[in-house]
Amino acid sequence: MNRYEKAAGGAVALMLLAAGAIFLYAPGDYLHGPVQRIFYLHVSSAITAFGCFAVVLIGGIVYLRNESPSADRIARAGALVGVVFTTVTLVMGMLWAKPVWGAYWVWDARLTSTLVLWIIYAGYLLVRRLAEPGRQSARFAAVVGIFGFADVPVVYFSVSWWNTHHPGPLIINNALPPEMLATFLFTMLCTLVLAGVMIGVRYRIETLLDGRHGVTERAHVVASRRPEASPEPVP
Amino acid sequence: MSILVADGLTHWFGRELALEGVDLVLDTGEHMAVLGDNGAGKTTLLRILATALRPTAGWLQLAGLDAFRERRRLRHYLGYVAHSPGLYPALTAAENLEFFCDLHDVSRSRVAEVLETVGLTQAADRRADRLSRGMQQRLAIGRAILHEPKLLFFDEPDASLGADAGDMLMRIMEGRTVVLATHDHALANRLCARTLILRHGRSLGTATHLRVVK
Amino acid sequence: MNPFRVAVAVARKDLRSEWRTRELVPALAQFVILALLIGNFGFQIDSRNAASIAPGILWLALVFAGLVAFGRAFAAEREQASLEAMLMTPASPVAVFAGKAAAAFGLLLLCEAVMLPALSLFFGTPLSIEVVAAVVLASVGMAALGCLFAAIVARVRARELLLPLLTLPLWIPFIIAGGSAVQSAMGLPGNYQEAIGLLIDFDILFLVLTSLAARFVLDE
Repeated sequence: MNRYEKAAGGAVALMLLAAGAIFLYAPGDYLHGPVQRIFYLHVSSAITAFGCFAVVLIGGIVYLRNESPSADRIARAGALVGVVFTTVTLVMGMLWAKPVWGAYWVWDARLTSTLVLWIIYAGYLLVRRLAEPGRQSARFAAVVGIFGFADVPVVYFSVSWWNTHHPGPLIINNALPPEMLATFLFTMLCTLVLAGVMIGVRYRIETLLDGRHGVTERAHVVASRRPEASPEPVP
Repeated sequence: MSILVADGLTHWFGRELALEGVDLVLDTGEHMAVLGDNGAGKTTLLRILATALRPTAGWLQLAGLDAFRERRRLRHYLGYVAHSPGLYPALTAAENLEFFCDLHDVSRSRVAEVLETVGLTQAADRRADRLSRGMQQRLAIGRAILHEPKLLFFDEPDASLGADAGDMLMRIMEGRTVVLATHDHALANRLCARTLILRHGRSLGTATHLRVVK
Repeated sequence: MNPFRVAVAVARKDLRSEWRTRELVPALAQFVILALLIGNFGFQIDSRNAASIAPGILWLALVFAGLVAFGRAFAAEREQASLEAMLMTPASPVAVFAGKAAAAFGLLLLCEAVMLPALSLFFGTPLSIEVVAAVVLASVGMAALGCLFAAIVARVRARELLLPLLTLPLWIPFIIAGGSAVQSAMGLPGNYQEAIGLLIDFDILFLVLTSLAARFVLDE
C-alpha cells in the first residue's frame, strides 16, 4: 500500500466515523426529524468547497506571479475537488429544503452564491479543457479563478441586499446544543481531511500528466534561469 | 556582437512537440532563411524569435537583452510580418498605417514613405478589404517597417506578392538583420546568405549558399 | 505614446471600423426591438404591471446584446491577427484593452439609446435621467468584464458557450443593483440612492481588477 492509498483509507475511515457520530451521537431534531442530519454534511461540504476555491485562488495568483507549474497544478486539483464538494452541497441542500421549506430551491443569498460558485467552477474547468494546454490554459484559468473568487462574496452581498427589500423565506439558525455542535465540528474536520487527501491525490496525478509533456520543475527552472543580460543598451 | 542568440528553443502545443532544441546565432546585418516543409515548425520558430510567442523551454537573447524579460524595450527594434496580414478591412491602406504610426509613436509622414517602398502609393485610399491578397501582404510588410526596425522577421512572403517581390524584399532587407521563413528554395537562395533547415521541429543545421538537390 | 492616447486611438479605430461596416449596431437594434416584442407577448404587459416587468425585459435584452457586442470585440480570426500586430508595438496591452472595451461600451450605449426610448414608448414606463444613469453605470462594469472574458474566450474553443458561462456570474451583481435602481426610478418601492451607490462600488472594484488582469490575458 503506497502512501496515497493509506491516506485515502484514513480519510474514508474518518468519514465513516463522522457518519457514525451524525447518526448515533448527535441528538435528533424534534422539529424536522431525521432529515435535519443532512445539515452536518451539507454545511461541511459548503465550507470545504470554499476552502478549495481559496486554494484555486492562491494557486492562480502564485502562478501569475512566477509561472510555477506546481502552483498551477494545485489550482487544477483544487478546482476539481471543489466542484465535487459544491455539487454535494447543492444536492444536499435541495434534499433538505424540500421537506423543511416545501420547495427544492429558494433564491436566498447563500443558495444563490453557492450556485454561482458552482457555475464559476464549471467555467474554470471548461476553460482549462478548451484552452491551449500549457501556459495559456494556466493563465486564463488563473484569471477566471481570481475573478470568480472575488465575485462570490459580491453576489452574496448583492442578493442579501436585494432580499432586504424583497423578503423571502427566513432561514432560522437556532443555537446548537453542544452535542450537535461537537458533531458538526467533527464532521467539518473529517470533510476537510477528505478534501485535503483528494487534492493531494489529484495533484500527484496532475504532476504525472505534466511530466509527460515536458512541463516539469526542472524545465521551468532552466527556462527562468537566464544568463545575465549584458549592460549594452539597445542601439 | 551577435544580435540574436537562441539556445535550446523548445515548444509544446499541448501534447504536440512543435520545436525541439533549436539553437541559432545571428550577427548584425545577416540575412537568414528558415527552410522547411509545412509543419516543420517554421512559423513557431519565427514567432518565438520575434517574441510573439513564449517558448516552453530555452532562452533567447536579442541585442544583448533577455528577449522575454525586456520585451517591451525591444518592441521598437523588431518588425514582424505574420503569415496572415491582420489588417483592418474597413480602413484604407493609409489609415491602417496611420493607426500603427500612432501606436509606434512615429511621425505620420512615414506612411507616404512606406507606401512608396512597398509600391502601394496608388492604393493609399483604398479600403484594405478591396486590396488583392498580394497588396494586403505588401501593406502588412509596410506596417512592419514603419518604425524602422533593425531586426525583421518574415513568415512566408509568398509568390502572390508580385513579380518584383524579390527586388522589393531586397531593398527592405538591406541594412537590417532578417530572418525569413519559407518553403521556396529559390527565394531563400536569392535573398539570404545563410539557411537554417527545419525538419519535424528540429534544426538540421545551417549552411551558406544552399544548393538543394531534389 | 502615453497609454491614454493609445486607448483613444484604439477606440477610435474600432468605432470607425464599425461605422464603415455598419454591421453590429443595426443587428443589435433589431434584436432589441424583437426582445421588446417578445416581452410584451410573453408577459402580457399592461399599464399596471409595466413598471415591474419592463426592467426585467430591459436587463435580459441588455445582457444578450452585451454578450454579442463584447464577443465581437475580440472574436474574429482576423481580429486576433490584428491584435497580435498591435501587441508587437510598444503600446501597452492594458491601454489596447481599455480602448477596445471603451469602443464596445460605446456600441452598447448606442444600443441602450435605442432600447430605453422604445421601452418607454411601448410600455409607458417613465424615461428619466435616473433610469438612464442606472443603465449607463451598470454598463460600465459589464463592459469591462465582458471584454476581458471575450478576450480570454477568443483564443479558446467553443467560445459561444463559454462567454456567457464565464460572464453572467460576474454580471449578476450589476443586474441586481441595476434592476433595483431602474425599478425604483420607475416608481416601484426601493432605494435608488443605495442601488446607484452599489453600482458605483461594483464598477470601481471590477474596473480595477480588470485593468490588472488585462495584461495577463492579452500578452503572451
